[in-house]
Amino acid sequence: MRTLTGAAVAAALAMLPVAAAADTDEIVWGDTLPSGLDPHVVYDVPMQFYMLNVYDGLYRYVGNPPELTPWLAESHEVSDDGLQWTFTLKEGVTFHDGSALTADDVVYSFQRLLTMGRGPSGAFLPVLAPEGVEKVDDLTVSFTLSQAYAPFLAAIPLVAIVNQDAVEANVVDDDWGSGWLTSNGAGSGAYIPDAETYIPQEKLDLEINPDHFWGWDDNADPIEIVRAYPVQETSTRVLALINGDIDATDSYLPTDQVERVEAAEGVGVASDESMRIMIIRMNNQRAPFDNENFRKCVSHAFDYEAFIDVVLGGFPERNAGPLPGNLWGAPADLEPYSYDLEAAAEYCDAARDEGAELDRPLEIHIQSALEQTTQAAEILQAGMAAVGVTVELVASTWPTLTSAAGSVETTPDMWVHWVSTYFVDPENWIGQMYDTTFAGTWKASSWYADERVDELLQAARAETDRDVRTGYYEEASRIIVADAADIWIYNTVQLRGLSDRLQGYNFSPVGSGGELRWMSVTD
Amino acid sequence: MALFIVRRVLMIVPILLGLLLLTFGMLRLAPGDPAAAIAGDNATPEQIAAIREDLGLNRHLIVQFADYAWNAAQGDFGVSAYSNRAVGLDIAQRLPATLELTFAALVIAAVGGIVIGALTGAWYNSSFDHFVRVVTVLGLATASFWFAIMLQLVFALDLGLLPLRGRLPAGMEVPPDTTGFLLLDSLIAGRLDAFGATLSHLALPAVTIAFGGLATVARFTRSSVIEAMHSEYAAYETAVGYPRRRVLFPFALKNALVTPVTQVGLLFGAFVSNAVAVEAVFDWPGLGSYLVQAIFAADYTAVLAVTLVIGFVYGVVNIVVDVVHGLLDPRVAERM
Repeated sequence: MRTLTGAAVAAALAMLPVAAAADTDEIVWGDTLPSGLDPHVVYDVPMQFYMLNVYDGLYRYVGNPPELTPWLAESHEVSDDGLQWTFTLKEGVTFHDGSALTADDVVYSFQRLLTMGRGPSGAFLPVLAPEGVEKVDDLTVSFTLSQAYAPFLAAIPLVAIVNQDAVEANVVDDDWGSGWLTSNGAGSGAYIPDAETYIPQEKLDLEINPDHFWGWDDNADPIEIVRAYPVQETSTRVLALINGDIDATDSYLPTDQVERVEAAEGVGVASDESMRIMIIRMNNQRAPFDNENFRKCVSHAFDYEAFIDVVLGGFPERNAGPLPGNLWGAPADLEPYSYDLEAAAEYCDAARDEGAELDRPLEIHIQSALEQTTQAAEILQAGMAAVGVTVELVASTWPTLTSAAGSVETTPDMWVHWVSTYFVDPENWIGQMYDTTFAGTWKASSWYADERVDELLQAARAETDRDVRTGYYEEASRIIVADAADIWIYNTVQLRGLSDRLQGYNFSPVGSGGELRWMSVTD
Repeated sequence: MALFIVRRVLMIVPILLGLLLLTFGMLRLAPGDPAAAIAGDNATPEQIAAIREDLGLNRHLIVQFADYAWNAAQGDFGVSAYSNRAVGLDIAQRLPATLELTFAALVIAAVGGIVIGALTGAWYNSSFDHFVRVVTVLGLATASFWFAIMLQLVFALDLGLLPLRGRLPAGMEVPPDTTGFLLLDSLIAGRLDAFGATLSHLALPAVTIAFGGLATVARFTRSSVIEAMHSEYAAYETAVGYPRRRVLFPFALKNALVTPVTQVGLLFGAFVSNAVAVEAVFDWPGLGSYLVQAIFAADYTAVLAVTLVIGFVYGVVNIVVDVVHGLLDPRVAERM
């Protein structure tokens, strides 16, 4: 019966006249779209927008600070040894085609992700094999891990549950239906994508799913139609918002544009503290960065205040260590490095005394597409010049830098990047950045190696008690900061230009506030 | 003439092969391999190695090249490593948008440039000529990126006359896809609203791309018109009493057109490369913006395919220009 109702509503929606386009319950969303629509293949910040709106997961992060909320799952249980996780699904959830979402779909989705080995699978592969995911009954799924892994639940929202029948009907050459799913939807989420009019990275129309399992009682006037038309250039994006062409920009509005948007009529800027830290990485295994005194010299030569207050208009929060300051596990009393050229000079002299060669020009690699990386590098360049060390900027791109991080020899002296929130657990930051097991990945590209830190991070991963884990992460943070492994600059405040028509913007560091179901539109 | 066309078409093959080899070499010799980027955040080194294996990136470069060239020759451009989507599908969806924009810009540059060039050539050193000379120098010197933003500020934001971005207004129903060219498709479907909307959306990006080219065509036309107006036949026609405008049109202009027409062919290439920046500013859903995204993502299959397709279109346009050249100048046709 439910299937019939779903089909009837879908059919009725399909017959809606185009006049709906002029409806006031429609918005244009100007943020970036992912390169493809398969949630088990693409894994980046734009994909989170798509996943949160078109798909559902067992759990979901909602709000800021992000709260892990049971979503498709009613509840879960974990065995005492932390190896066995059992999830009970909610009853009566249907996919966009009206068919029921069952344990089979959950098992299929995880097996698909783990076997393809793409997208967010890296968060699970070290502890979960495809055979480890099993259906217990129609509404129960169990996961058997190969070793205890406390961040497992925190990573669960990364996995979108896809409609097994819809995907399997489109498999070509054992591709797990990926060639099809990259341009089509097979979800149960609050919005239904229109595959007909989809142009990758340019245009995606989404229509409300009136049958979404969460219901719409908490939102009296939801957005009926969302036209996700990304605007590539910052200047066009701001003009388009002011002009009324779009209702939302991306969430990284440059700070020099904030005043301009705020001065314009009918639009404003939402600013929300996120969990996304900016870092200058140092290759700890290459001279002279293998010298602790030299790393401290560099840490004191960066003018944090000038960068945060002048270049970035004072929006971001100074971040003292490798964990976002607003996340558990970050020691509250951690003292950040200060801009102090005298101290820097002393540390550099000490490094020279220990035999560190500081005469060669040092390279800092920036990401050409991201202006802030250049600005940060220039600030460091000026500070280092003041203590007699030459720093050269090298333009690069994300793919080049991430692959260069594969070995000590190819990893640059220094490079600039951010670590965003994918799952809200210290593992996402400190765990994957400073444990030597992750050497060779971009996140661990400072090639930091400390036995005690390895012990702490591995123990934290196996421990299920949050308080005990907090202690481990706090101790590890203190050691890493004392060793000046990297230069931690700030925790991002995300800035999104929004039209006043949009109400109920509900920011969460996961998805950057792109979850549309909480929003409504007024005139 | 027919033999000439066949010969020129055949010549495209080695040109494309050379282009492919060059692009492939440059992409693959540059540092970085896409597997790490494709694997995404939280990827393990084993996962990266597995993706490298899957994509065949461990094979010898020559094998990879031969494999790619063979598939491309059969029209299979491969699958984007990022989206798992067939690159051919992306190109088919986007090429018409770029061609429509480029042709619109070519028409503006050719018609505008020839008319302005002919007038300034026939009445050279007049105040109109001086004015145009200043504007054309500006046209050649202006960065299209900056010019695009200025046009947006004036015509879209301040005056509200023309749309800021995109190819059609958000929410307007797209006419059925017959040719991929929205102007033609909306006429075929009898959708005058869509035709008008397309035209207004085309205006700013097409003018941006055309500006520099218009200046080039105008300068070339001017010089060859001046030369033609000083030729013996023009002196004769003036002597027998033809007014200046009759000497200019059709006699002098027809002979003077050979050089600017060649320029128009060359401009096509410049326009396509200009489109890469301009499409991004105007969110024009064409190959240019696709290429920019592909380059930043190190999506080799997409970059190679776009380069090849642009090279092919450029080759075809130049054959057409050569043929027109022959039609305009019988001496050239004889040598064909």
